[in-house]
Amino acid sequence: MRRLPVYLVLDTSGSMTGEPIEAVKNGVQVLVSSLRQDPYALETAFLSVITFNSAAKQIVPLTELSMFQMPDIQASGTTSLGDALSLLSQKMDTEVTKTTAEQKGDWKPLVFIMTDGEPTDNWQKGLTEFQKRKFGMVVACAAGQGANTGILKQITEVVVQLDTADSATIKAFFKWVSASVSTGSQKIEASGKEVSGLNELPPPPPEVNIVV
Amino acid sequence: MDLKKIIVDASEDRIEDFRSKNQSQIETFILDLWKEYQQNSDPVEIDQGPVIDLADDGDDRQCGEYQPNDPENPDEPGSPDEINVNETEMQKQGASERPPYDAIDLQIKSRHIALPNGKVNQNYDIHFDIEKIIPEISGIRFEGLDQAGLQFVPETKKITGIPQAAGDYKIKMYCRRHDWEEGKPTIEREITLIINPDPRSLWVDLPTPEDIEYYKPDCNREFIKVEASETVARKDMVAASKRGRSHAHEGKPRDDDFMLHFDDGSGWYVMAVADGAGSARYSREGSRIACRTAVDTCITEIKNRGETFEKQIRTFSNVRSEENRKQAGDTLYHIIGTAAFKSHKDIEKEAVDKGNPIKDYATTLILSICKKFDFGWFVGAFWVGDGGIGIYAKEPPFLKVLGEADGGEFAGQTRFLTMTEIVQPMELYRRLRFDIVDDFTALILMTDGVTDPKFETDANLNRIEKWHDFWNNLSQEVDFSDDHENSAEQLLKWLDFWSPGNHDDRTIAILF
Repeated sequence: MRRLPVYLVLDTSGSMTGEPIEAVKNGVQVLVSSLRQDPYALETAFLSVITFNSAAKQIVPLTELSMFQMPDIQASGTTSLGDALSLLSQKMDTEVTKTTAEQKGDWKPLVFIMTDGEPTDNWQKGLTEFQKRKFGMVVACAAGQGANTGILKQITEVVVQLDTADSATIKAFFKWVSASVSTGSQKIEASGKEVSGLNELPPPPPEVNIVV
Repeated sequence: MDLKKIIVDASEDRIEDFRSKNQSQIETFILDLWKEYQQNSDPVEIDQGPVIDLADDGDDRQCGEYQPNDPENPDEPGSPDEINVNETEMQKQGASERPPYDAIDLQIKSRHIALPNGKVNQNYDIHFDIEKIIPEISGIRFEGLDQAGLQFVPETKKITGIPQAAGDYKIKMYCRRHDWEEGKPTIEREITLIINPDPRSLWVDLPTPEDIEYYKPDCNREFIKVEASETVARKDMVAASKRGRSHAHEGKPRDDDFMLHFDDGSGWYVMAVADGAGSARYSREGSRIACRTAVDTCITEIKNRGETFEKQIRTFSNVRSEENRKQAGDTLYHIIGTAAFKSHKDIEKEAVDKGNPIKDYATTLILSICKKFDFGWFVGAFWVGDGGIGIYAKEPPFLKVLGEADGGEFAGQTRFLTMTEIVQPMELYRRLRFDIVDDFTALILMTDGVTDPKFETDANLNRIEKWHDFWNNLSQEVDFSDDHENSAEQLLKWLDFWSPGNHDDRTIAILF
């Protein structure tokens, strides 16, 4: 079976403490429970969560949606975005099946990166690793005004910004992510192609602004 | 070492790891915290908090405040001589309302205890032996498992059952310390149990509205009985086509099609299957025209060229030289190549008449003509797009795949009959295949709705073991005995096989 891998790369640095981190946890729960109602996603989507603060860590390996369980996350430390990109690249190599003569590989992973600040590590190094791989659609989300959208723009063309990192806004973002994953899993079903541009995703809600 | 910081920073795994290595230190740390709390709190609170209820039987050992006299084993209550026995009045008031704030309780509350997710209608059977991990507790029981259709059997330490309804269930787990006695509080912990819906139940089957342009029934099947001639059994043809789940879910029409024909006069069999592109608006009509025109043209061309063609086939069968192969191949080109070309043209004409671009009618096509001769079976084929066609014999094992699938490995590389470059003479010729074989179990034409789940890759389509599995699976549900008309219905039913992530329209045509 060709899986649709979905990587959530989430900033859990100290600045996310309090409402933002709780909203992110809730967001992931909402995302998973709504995707579980979507037959396309339930059969094809596999979910992984990578968090990053002083270092990056994969807290949920690529898991079938129906078996996914969200572990607790806490905010602390700095913002090692570069380390997160390196880890993501590494996980893509080990977790995503390549197409061979005997086996149809997985679809290209969908990646959602969310951060609220400036990277504090050598992010270019991680970016170089990231750029060596062929990911599918990559969406970077600047949560609040503190995030550096310029850096995110170097990771992917698709950058969105949340005006504030409050729970309502973060929830709206995750709902959009959920709808995007649904669309992605339907598109591969209908046309055998991954989503490739923002125009193929559902329109983001008013809280989620597209950074041009 | 700053334990506070480590605990706050640590993730679940690290906590576990850290805990197992430093259990006694952690517990000392917790007890220190507790003391600190006692010192800073309201004195009444202090008394009530740590008090464990006294049973009225006079055993004074049950009441006490924590005195961590033994750092190696601080969970154990202090020995009776160290316990500060409180006023009986106090004990009765404060008693069991508050659970004891001790290391075990904290451990159970803070530990990541999770039950694996379940699935509706699927047997749930897990071993839940928390006492093995936290040996200080026993008497596990659950509240709320029954709502999920599950039960816990303490003897086997198993949670079993078949969940009936999807949802996030809040389950309460209760347990007690080993030294628990009647009246003492039990430890309570909430655990979320997720029961997933059965994906099959989420798919709906909306009939295609009959008033849409180019309406086509959501499924179709056909059996063509070719009766024995001069007491010799002759092969029959069966085909079925079924709308995929993803189309059914949205009330969209079937894009696949097929057509079968047996020409009684000449003894030629003609078969076609076509898969309209999912992204093309009117591909259902593209596939329909492709099959119809291709089969009709073959019939006409066989009438015109049949005599010459059969001579060439016979000659080639006698002497399998390149020259003889080329002559038969050229005539095959005039029959099947013309059929493919005319199909393309007819689709183009329809598109022009309706003022639509031809790519709106994009479709694949697999076409085959066959005939039995005294020296064996001639099978000729043309194939554009994905899917597959093969001559398969179970015994002695034989497989010939009549062409190559286009793309499929890389998205967007699939070729369609509706592309101009496909109907150029060289390109048409390149896609022709023919062979003469003694006999076979089945000649099978199928769209990618069948090949994707059953063969997965083009390489597997060329592996006879895969065909053996495929045929075994197929013949378990479809009775392929001679003249068995009900095979069409059985084949249609077989097409409904479950394969996660594979919901395309499915079409298969078999000569057997």
